[in-house]
Amino acid sequence: MAPSAIAAAGTGSEAASTDYGDALALRERRFAAALLAPAFLALLATTTFPLMFLIWTSAFRMDLAMPFTNGFVGFENYRVLLSDERFWSSLLVSLVYTGSTVALQVVIGLALALLVMDMKRGQGWFRLIAILPVVLSPAVVGMIWRTFMLAPEFGIVDFLSINAGLGSQNWLGDPVLAMVSVIAIHTWQWTPFAFMVLLASLASLPEDIYEAARLDRASAWQRFRRITLPLLRPAIVMVVIMRTMVALTAFAAIFTVTAGGPGTATEILNLYAYRKSFTELSIGYGAALAVALLIVTIIISGILFALRRAK
Amino acid sequence: MSARRLRSTAVLGISLAFLLAWAFPIIWSVLNSLKTGSDVLAYPPKLVFSPTLDAYRDVLFGSGSILPNLISSMIISVGTTIVTMLMAIPAAYALARLRFRGKKFAGFYVLATQMLPPVGIIIPYFLVLRNIGWIDTYQGIILIYLSFSLPFAIWLLVSYFEDIPFEMEEAAYLDGASRLRTLWRIIIPQVRGGVAVTIVFVFLNAWNEFLFAVVLSGNTVRPVTVAMFNFVSVEQTLWAKLAAVSVLAMLPVVVLGVVAQKHIVKGLTVGAVKGGGRR
Amino acid sequence: MSGRGQVSFRDIVKMHGEFAALRGVSFDIKPGEFFALLGPSGSGKSTTLRSLAGLDAPTAGRVFIDDKDVTFTDARDRDIAMVFQSYALYPHMTVAENIAFPLEMAKLPKAKIGPAVQDAARKVKIEHLLDRKPGQLSGGQQQRCALARAIVRKARLFLLDEPLSNLDAKLRLETRAELKKLQRSLGVTAVYVTHDQEEAMTLADRMAVFMAGEIQQVGTPADVFARPNSIDIAGFIGNPPMNLIPAHYADGDVLIAGHRLKTTAAIPGEREVIVGLRPGSLHIAADGLKARVDLIEDLGDTAVLDLDCDGTSIRMRVGDHDVPREGDTICVTARPQDIHLFDPATRKRL
Repeated sequence: MAPSAIAAAGTGSEAASTDYGDALALRERRFAAALLAPAFLALLATTTFPLMFLIWTSAFRMDLAMPFTNGFVGFENYRVLLSDERFWSSLLVSLVYTGSTVALQVVIGLALALLVMDMKRGQGWFRLIAILPVVLSPAVVGMIWRTFMLAPEFGIVDFLSINAGLGSQNWLGDPVLAMVSVIAIHTWQWTPFAFMVLLASLASLPEDIYEAARLDRASAWQRFRRITLPLLRPAIVMVVIMRTMVALTAFAAIFTVTAGGPGTATEILNLYAYRKSFTELSIGYGAALAVALLIVTIIISGILFALRRAK
Repeated sequence: MSARRLRSTAVLGISLAFLLAWAFPIIWSVLNSLKTGSDVLAYPPKLVFSPTLDAYRDVLFGSGSILPNLISSMIISVGTTIVTMLMAIPAAYALARLRFRGKKFAGFYVLATQMLPPVGIIIPYFLVLRNIGWIDTYQGIILIYLSFSLPFAIWLLVSYFEDIPFEMEEAAYLDGASRLRTLWRIIIPQVRGGVAVTIVFVFLNAWNEFLFAVVLSGNTVRPVTVAMFNFVSVEQTLWAKLAAVSVLAMLPVVVLGVVAQKHIVKGLTVGAVKGGGRR
Repeated sequence: MSGRGQVSFRDIVKMHGEFAALRGVSFDIKPGEFFALLGPSGSGKSTTLRSLAGLDAPTAGRVFIDDKDVTFTDARDRDIAMVFQSYALYPHMTVAENIAFPLEMAKLPKAKIGPAVQDAARKVKIEHLLDRKPGQLSGGQQQRCALARAIVRKARLFLLDEPLSNLDAKLRLETRAELKKLQRSLGVTAVYVTHDQEEAMTLADRMAVFMAGEIQQVGTPADVFARPNSIDIAGFIGNPPMNLIPAHYADGDVLIAGHRLKTTAAIPGEREVIVGLRPGSLHIAADGLKARVDLIEDLGDTAVLDLDCDGTSIRMRVGDHDVPREGDTICVTARPQDIHLFDPATRKRL
């Protein structure tokens, strides 16, 4: 095992030792490279390469329905995109969808976590039930809601609405109600996530600081505002970041319920890019939309990470 | 005293309402899947009925059986899990343990790949796979599933590898074990639990995936999440059958989720806690 | 066994970036010796041990074991056994499997492994625990298991990195004695890292005292105790530590708080010095330094007095029969041979 390369150096102990350190580092690097290579090649092939190809594609007119019009168009797709009303409306829908679902998840999740935290019995039920929605496929969730919950007359929500005197509603056919519905579905599925994370975070707060605060005569509200909230802030910010990223690229939960409809009422940017590419088969323009979505994602996450670092 | 009782009653009421809200859609699907074709259409909805497994028999063994789709889902999920773990375990070990230049960047790269919206991956991928004839093939779907399962698995495993003290490895070296032997005999056995949890989540994510599956599936390879659509059309919905299929699609992930209950928060938040490579 | 386990360190330097963890360390360990590396945390003793084990590569210098240059030899090829501070037991293996692991790695035939494991376990009295997992053992049992794993291979060198620091006080004393006996009976060279000077004093045949990345003194514990060669060592060795008092020296005598004490020094002339006085070497006398007793810490068989000697505080140890009362004024003195003199500038012994 004695490294012969080092023995050859032999010009003095100091030089030799440095070489030996380098040789060790080199050996460690090679071992690391060998271990990392498969995963990183796969990641390059399945993420970085597609990204390059996506950007390249977005510079083409590539219409699978009309192949004879295909060709390099440079920034033409982006020029069209900027004056595309459907793009701007889908961006707005994305922001509304993301903003409202994330806000609802955090507020309800936090409220529920605080509530459950104080419960002496039954916490286990919450922890168990909360798992169910988050492990399900959004596609299955969307399908269940679309049919068994929201179908006019047949669905339970509509049944309740009728019995509450509000009458039968076209939950997924009316633009506003459809938007409310997809937001509600996403919130239903992912609030347990916020709940579980915040509950775990709450449970890890040391009890003695609350005892100290109580001795300092802080009221329950003051304890929440001055102690709980600041201490939970990292967890809350983390939930917001994670949920925002997911909501921006939500697909199945909308696609299976409304497919973006009625019209484009629930068409978030992600869905628009999909429909353009795979329903209308304008792949070049769809690619430009996907790039736009990537840019939006980067901007929003940049803002969120800046917020996380602040203070 | 009565104010206190009022409060605790309110707390109880609210909590029960939420438990019900979360559990109901799932329970309702299960109930509907056990109804006959006419029971399921009854108005007002029936809570009490005589259960039957007709719907399950129909969707599994009737015409248009979804059995091939369940098998499809299983092959895709198991295949993705195996390939992912084979690549992720060594990579995670290297990221957690070895010293090399660019490690921070490598860790960041793994996280950053997650920024890419799936729709941005599937558009170019669809073009490539179409050219090489890999649409509607298992290898096509499994390959692209690596785009999300690998970063996830790597980061989750890194957190488990980091829990093992360095001294454990040093002791093994002094005992005469080589690097690979140490990895195999000392390190891997200790992260067995973490590996199991990772397997559960990778499987779960693969089973639940929809966008890639919708684009890349065809008559040969069509996972159950996509095949579900057969039961809903503009003209009519096959309610009981749809319910049965939903339950079948939910069953594996619910079982896995309950089994991995204690690790679910860690599994859901992996990567976010660190927000980049450590050390 | 003799002739095996000889160690030489030659000018070992270890840099961590800009920081020098070791600044040229040299020492020799004889075969069969129990050698302690003693020093406060961050002094470089652990780095030295790791360089010897091959876990860290030195930046410069050479390490020899049995006259062979092993500076560049892999840890696993050095034939060294080590007990870690945290024991580093493999949690997924039973005690027997843990002990067998080094033998397995050495490709010893299965038929020989079993008896060897039994033998090692018997030596540290854990034969009855062989089927347990480390998680089911107490701290003391874990420590024994780590010992057994280290001795089973009969390596030429036996390294111990603060092996007793995770044990409670009573167990530590018991184990200390057993450790010494074990090392003697095996006849193996042991290198022992500790920050506890009492451990080093009681266990070691010889010890090296580390301060700030350098060895300040090598010698038998008695030597180091009797003739500390710097102020830092004087202040580190002994409990309570040596009193170090600035004083004026003139022709063999020192002047402390107006009182003249005779020394054995034969340096002519006058100069400022630091006088070192062991608390135990002070005694109450009719004539000597006048001091007021500020505080008495009664340790049962002995007592430690905090004395105020005209503004200088001095600690002394007395037997239980002649303890004064707090507030008393007493006279203390020391024999000339018990007075250590140090140079305040170089901090070295005069």
